[in-house]
Amino acid sequence: MASRIEAKEDAGIPRQSRDWVPLIVFLGPALVVYAGFSLFPVLKTIYNSLHVMKPHNVVEFVGLGNYRSLLTHDEIFWKAVKNTALFSVFGTVLDVGAGFLLALCLFAKVPLARFWKIVWFSPVLISYVVVGIIWVWIYDYNWGIVNTVLRWFALDALAHSWLGDPHTALWAVLATQVWKWAGFNMIVFMAALYGLPPDVLGAAELDHCGWLAKLVHVILPMLRPTVVSLLVLSLIGKMMVFDVVWIMTRGGPLWSTETVSTYVYKRAFDWNTFDLGYPSAIAVVWFILILVFVALLTGSLRQRDKLEY
Amino acid sequence: MHNVTAPFKKTLLLLFVIACTVITGGPFLWVAALSLRTTPEIFDHPYSFPMHPHFGKFLKAWTQANYGQYFWNSTLVVVSAVFLATLLGAMAAHGLVRYPFRGTRATRFLILSGMMLPPQMLVLSLFQIMFSLRLYNSLTGLIVVYVATQLPMTIYILESFFAHIPQDLFDAARLDGYADFEIFWRIALPIGTPAVLTTALLNFIMLWNEFLYAVVLLTDNSKRTLPLGIMFFMGGHQIDVGMMATGLMITIFPVLLLYAFFSETMIKGMTAGAVR
Repeated sequence: MASRIEAKEDAGIPRQSRDWVPLIVFLGPALVVYAGFSLFPVLKTIYNSLHVMKPHNVVEFVGLGNYRSLLTHDEIFWKAVKNTALFSVFGTVLDVGAGFLLALCLFAKVPLARFWKIVWFSPVLISYVVVGIIWVWIYDYNWGIVNTVLRWFALDALAHSWLGDPHTALWAVLATQVWKWAGFNMIVFMAALYGLPPDVLGAAELDHCGWLAKLVHVILPMLRPTVVSLLVLSLIGKMMVFDVVWIMTRGGPLWSTETVSTYVYKRAFDWNTFDLGYPSAIAVVWFILILVFVALLTGSLRQRDKLEY
Repeated sequence: MHNVTAPFKKTLLLLFVIACTVITGGPFLWVAALSLRTTPEIFDHPYSFPMHPHFGKFLKAWTQANYGQYFWNSTLVVVSAVFLATLLGAMAAHGLVRYPFRGTRATRFLILSGMMLPPQMLVLSLFQIMFSLRLYNSLTGLIVVYVATQLPMTIYILESFFAHIPQDLFDAARLDGYADFEIFWRIALPIGTPAVLTTALLNFIMLWNEFLYAVVLLTDNSKRTLPLGIMFFMGGHQIDVGMMATGLMITIFPVLLLYAFFSETMIKGMTAGAVR
């Protein structure tokens, strides 16, 4: 941080200005909107999580009661935690892995690389509502492409109601999510791959290093910072997953795709209890868990980085 | 040996690339075909080419199926929110860079930490807050929420860009008698155009696709944005697949249009946050 301030002094920006009026004019509006509609709601959610809201605007303070019943009595919550954990871990690894594979294809000097890149990135830009509905159709039992292809190959026995079966629903949603985000990771990996020092790659080639050896011993270690930040970024996103699940399965069948976020939404708006306190407690618990995870992951992975060099 | 296997490997790679492209692009082409066919035709042959394209379906979707209304609601909300977020964000970024004060670091931290907030931490109490402000079920309310949630990222991108503009330029302008706001409007903003364009595009895409805040804060059919409108059709018992496909195409068309013109900017912008 200190270096950043010094750098600015070099650029000629004074350390402190005494012009309060322009500062307030420039910074004020954004701060007011942000504080009022982002920070205040967060504080209010924490406040709500300590209360129970009953009909007719009766609000009762229960302290940590919501948290206690959440962590000890709520089976659906733990089911949602398990699903979200599976989704986050496998989703993150598959996403980042698929993105890396795609980036390697383009890096291998495939013809028309620019065209492939533009097509592969396009799902990132499309709304989950659109993507989700298309994939509900793709998984359709009667006329979806997955089952159609299986029947072509006379594998009728494998044709399946992918989203209707509690054993496959979560994995079907997961595949959709990988389809949407692989392109994002690909672009980041591409930037990192083209940023590698060419002389190191050239040296590996002179040593008659096979492409697999080059990949494992030369390229991957140098890409480590990129992999770390993509894993963290991807994990945060998946721990908050809502749209794709809500659109494709609404958490069903039999809570097999229920995630923490869809459960929060259901408790708040679908169960007609009018109690925002309990779902707020879920949101707070999950937020704290995300923060802890991010801190641990960045901490431990960065640490190992330093030891290696 | 090397020369014998090289073309083989190259072909294998190309085949893999084509397979990936079919998997990524195929669904879009399929929906585009569905959008021009009627539901009975689709159930007969789900994967045939639209031999007799029904372009009239788009008109029907726009007028009878209410997609016109959803489209204008989305446009109104997203364009206003992007405009406000960009303007307020640029002003704040300029303020943070050019008018440092004792609390600059704290303010910056406070704003940028907003990028980490899960929507679930906000949406429950926003529902309450908007209700008491009489902004529940109103497009204005949704615009305000969108501006608030997009500000941190906007400020993050613009601030790092503005910081690279040499201070001499601003000092010279001041000597020439420019007022503070004039300096922002006539120097910082024009020089920052590339970054401003990037954030505007980024915010447009993210808000055009936004679902959670909209589904919580809007209830009237006449106020629904496109994602909500489509979900509403999905909830019906008899799903008119052909008509829904037309609606999906209407929804992705503006995004594809922007992508056609600004593909590089959008690709770079979307991934800007991940590369440090």
